Amino acid sequence: MTCEEFELAGLDLESLRQEDPAHIAAREHLQLCPQCAALHENWQTLRADLHAVGAETQDAGAPPRVEMHLRQEFRTRHKTMRAKRAAVYAGWTLAAAAVVLTAVSWVNWRHETGKGSTPSAVNSPQDVNMNKTTPAGPELGETIVAANDAGEFTLLPGSLPGMLEDATVVRVQMQRGALSALGLTVNEERAADLIQVDLLVGDDGQPKALRLPQTTE
Amino acid sequence: MHIEAQERDDVLLRRSARGDEEAFTELYRRHQAPLYRFALRMSGNVWAAEEIVQDVFMTLIREPKKFDPERGALRSFLYGITRNRVLKHLERTPRESLHEQIDEDGTGQRAMASESLTPAEWAEVGERREQVRAAVLKLPVEFREAVVLCGLEELSYEEAARLLDCPVGTIRSRLHRGRALLLAKLEMLRDAPKRAGASR
Repeated sequence: MTCEEFELAGLDLESLRQEDPAHIAAREHLQLCPQCAALHENWQTLRADLHAVGAETQDAGAPPRVEMHLRQEFRTRHKTMRAKRAAVYAGWTLAAAAVVLTAVSWVNWRHETGKGSTPSAVNSPQDVNMNKTTPAGPELGETIVAANDAGEFTLLPGSLPGMLEDATVVRVQMQRGALSALGLTVNEERAADLIQVDLLVGDDGQPKALRLPQTTE
Repeated sequence: MHIEAQERDDVLLRRSARGDEEAFTELYRRHQAPLYRFALRMSGNVWAAEEIVQDVFMTLIREPKKFDPERGALRSFLYGITRNRVLKHLERTPRESLHEQIDEDGTGQRAMASESLTPAEWAEVGERREQVRAAVLKLPVEFREAVVLCGLEELSYEEAARLLDCPVGTIRSRLHRGRALLLAKLEMLRDAPKRAGASR
């Protein structure tokens, strides 16, 4: 082993096993070279010094106040996170509740409107070709003849469009509740109201279709 | 064993991220001492070491997801953060005396008292160690890391390489160079022949 080789390998001499060829060669070189022996001694001294310096702080650790501070920070942080999470949950819950409430209200409103305006829906065609001679407020039970315009009429259950050709329009005043007898949905709260209805009466004397003229509004 | 320890660290970190304070405390107690020693030996300042360790674990509290178990052990991850903090500290305050801080902490006196030396020998040994500490603190950072981990903490080359995330050969050469520089600084080569490796 040369001095240069010793310088490279000699630092780790102690970490090599006794029977290791590099260890044996280094030992032989140390016996032959006093300069490398001196260098090795210095290394040994330095190693011992480093060990001693290391031993001084061997058991050193962060003081307890660091742990206390960190735990405090941990608690604060996770408490804040929990509060934030709860706020987010509460926000979403409120939003969901608001959506559900709105939906229920809308459905109810639709339902109410649907019931209330069923007759109106039947009467949706706005252009009622009324006979101009029709009085505004006929007496109860009085019948009048209106224009025979089947296009505006709604077929009653069981009637066919072909049956309307020779039908006659008869305007009657009746209670709204009576419409249910003709198979129509009626708002029960307004069942007692008096309304005018144009009936399309067929040859057999049975109503085939009806409409609610605007004059009943 | 190592894998088990890593798994346990993972589990603890996951629990800690969910707000389990016990898990966090266990993690802290498991890792704080070597990190503190590394920071102390690298910076030579107990206050800086304390601040650095606190900072490292604050990172773990704030951003636990930064640790990826696929990339290595939690210990290496924490060492990485500690190294960065130490380097930042060294950039701000280049050099400070280690021995005064250690004496203030009491650890220096404890080690000295354990040896049966005469007062004169104590003084000599104390002076010698002071010189060594000062010389270590004057080493360039990369050599200092190697000397601190392998010389003072007495880790194997493989462990040091894992913690510093570099090849074993790099650690070996840095340590070799660091020791040579230390010897030069301590003027131990005064009577020994000048060697290229030591004086480079």
